[in-house]
Amino acid sequence: MSPLSRRQLLRATTGAAALAAAGPLLTACGSAEGAALDPTGKPDLDGVTLKILANQPNALSFQYLSKPFEEATGAKLKVTPVPYDKLTAKAVLDVQSGAGQFDVFMYWYAAVGTLAQGGVIEDLTAYIKAHKDIDADDFLPSLYDTYTLYDGKRWGLPYDGDTHILFYNTEIFERHKVEPPKTWDDYNEIAAKITKDAKGTYYGTIIEAQQVPVILGCDFANRLAGYGGTFLDKGASGNPTLDTPEAIAAAQALFDAAPSALPTPLQIGFDQALPAFLDGKGAMLDFWTDFAKRAEDPKQSKVAGKWGVTTLPVGGDNAKPRTSLDAGFGLAVSKASKQKEAAAAFIKWATAAQQNLLVLGKADAGADPIRTSTLNSEEFKKASPDSYDVVRTGLAGDPLPWPTVPKAPELLQTLVDELALGLQGKQSAKEALEKTQQAWVKELKGTTG
Amino acid sequence: MTTAPTLKAGPRTVRGRSGARVPGGLAAPAVAFLVVFAAYPLVYLIGLAFTQSTLAQPLQRWTGFDNFRSALESQSFTGSLWRSVLFAVLAAAVQLVLGTALALLLRARARRPGLLGTLLLLPLVTPPVMVGVAWKLLLAPVGGALNGVLHVLGLPGVNPLGGATSAFITLVVIDSWQWTPFVMLLTYAALLGVPDELREAAALDGAGRRRTARSVVLPYIEPTLLSVLLLKLVIGFKVFDIVYVVTAGGPGFSTTTSTYDIQRTALQEFDVGAAAAGTVVFSLLIGLVTAVVALRRKRHEEVAV
Repeated sequence: MSPLSRRQLLRATTGAAALAAAGPLLTACGSAEGAALDPTGKPDLDGVTLKILANQPNALSFQYLSKPFEEATGAKLKVTPVPYDKLTAKAVLDVQSGAGQFDVFMYWYAAVGTLAQGGVIEDLTAYIKAHKDIDADDFLPSLYDTYTLYDGKRWGLPYDGDTHILFYNTEIFERHKVEPPKTWDDYNEIAAKITKDAKGTYYGTIIEAQQVPVILGCDFANRLAGYGGTFLDKGASGNPTLDTPEAIAAAQALFDAAPSALPTPLQIGFDQALPAFLDGKGAMLDFWTDFAKRAEDPKQSKVAGKWGVTTLPVGGDNAKPRTSLDAGFGLAVSKASKQKEAAAAFIKWATAAQQNLLVLGKADAGADPIRTSTLNSEEFKKASPDSYDVVRTGLAGDPLPWPTVPKAPELLQTLVDELALGLQGKQSAKEALEKTQQAWVKELKGTTG
Repeated sequence: MTTAPTLKAGPRTVRGRSGARVPGGLAAPAVAFLVVFAAYPLVYLIGLAFTQSTLAQPLQRWTGFDNFRSALESQSFTGSLWRSVLFAVLAAAVQLVLGTALALLLRARARRPGLLGTLLLLPLVTPPVMVGVAWKLLLAPVGGALNGVLHVLGLPGVNPLGGATSAFITLVVIDSWQWTPFVMLLTYAALLGVPDELREAAALDGAGRRRTARSVVLPYIEPTLLSVLLLKLVIGFKVFDIVYVVTAGGPGFSTTTSTYDIQRTALQEFDVGAAAAGTVVFSLLIGLVTAVVALRRKRHEEVAV
């Protein structure tokens, strides 16, 4: 074999260097960013088509908004539904890849820091200031900052104010002579009693514990709020507080409930939990408020007229019911949009009180109140007679926010991973949360939170 | 005075497979294809593995071996590596034995597989996601078809996806259900290549059916079996769809294979740097395991030559 000549070596080195340099270059080329949003721009919406990336359960809400929006502005909406757990990745990839297929992103509020820091969504601070008719003061104080604020700037507007409430099967409760639980201890006792007495016909509770933040995370967060604990010491940001007695008690309450739940909690997600409750297979289920409309629909539900709702229980020394901001979505303008002013105009319109009321009245829109005026309205009361008081108590109070720091997706995945190991019996509640606390501290070290 | 003859430079040529010289430019499309679809992704992957990279902001800053260190310190990732090896080896072994047995049976029963062969191949042509959904519905603890049958028979219900070991075994079963026909198909084709004269000679020497199969047929098709094993190991390492659909890596981490873990790190936690480092480590592991089989195959070829 002939030795490598100087020229060959030079050629090979140049080629390798060019290839290595192409990496960052092509990455930079991939990211698409349209012109900056003009906060005072007055777009002509007539004939415009706005492309929206929507959370699947809320996708129909945009269909209800589509016609009135077109009538009001002449603009059309094109909606792409995406499963909730793919929403953030899809938005990031759309901008990062340079595809720029969407003008408006519906985002899970816990990802607001990730999207803002990643340059995926547009800063709306100046736009909101310039448009007084947004009536930002009417947004529920419990949601507004948590859903939209990161690093002192506003990145979107609230669209769906999600919280959980406790649904229970009144027929099963009457049969077993039990009352809706006030504390998580009561809850576990009731669940155990019903499961034992029912002998496999149905179960005392349904625990959704698939290892996904929006599923298992909600079950934990409901108990964490009930026991008076928090994720971080400054609400949606700050230092982790998961090794506190309240947080550990919350995890323990969750672990204690699992043996009495519909088998097997770690396999149960929305697809299994909802049909089971609607089929009368579970006596209790903590779920989003808009589920009330489905539960009362005899076409979908065998428990229509046989269910009730109550606030989530409390635990430990805490006696004041507190809800958790489980999921919840905002609308933001894509950095890659070529029609940012039009996208911002749509967001302003879609989050106005009139539109919020419109979707609140639709059973399949997956919508919840985002404004004080809509939460207290007669229309919402009429649309949700059974859950009105409970929803109002939760959202008008001081609900527990989830982390919204850029690392939130990673933090929440770590939390549910450790909780899942606990539910599997591989570690105690204390071990699970101490490990989570350590991981969170490590992840948040050196960040501004 | 004499002048040296001037040489006119012709087009640059390379020697082709046949030995004939062909213009080097003809290789340009292939080279471009390799650069775009193989070299660039590889260089980019390695770049990601050595940098702090998120899904939104790749290649932020050089971090050296930090991503590798944290990947190897992560119990979730290291556990997934062993599970991937176990899954690939177990699934390949089960499928090789079952597939070969079925192929022998098919060969013994009929020269042409016919309807039976078509039915046996059905799982192979079913989309993996559909396979996952079907098995999930079949095995659901409440309302699942299997427990429905057990209930009718008055037997207690089962929940194979509820336990750590049983869920892992269930995935091997599902994978085997889908891929055994593939092994059977290739093995059957190899069996058809065994000359009848060899069997007849073995029969004349007094060998029975079993002895013929063990001493004549299997050695003859061994190179095919080793190739199938290699293929199946690679396919087993790459398993993702049924894990995603049937167990989502659970319960806990019991069925979290490396492909699933890497996907989760990149697309749910958005830590693309860690996912890239994991991919590099996982690729090396696959190379190591498959190299053992490849070496054995090569040795077999050398002996045959």
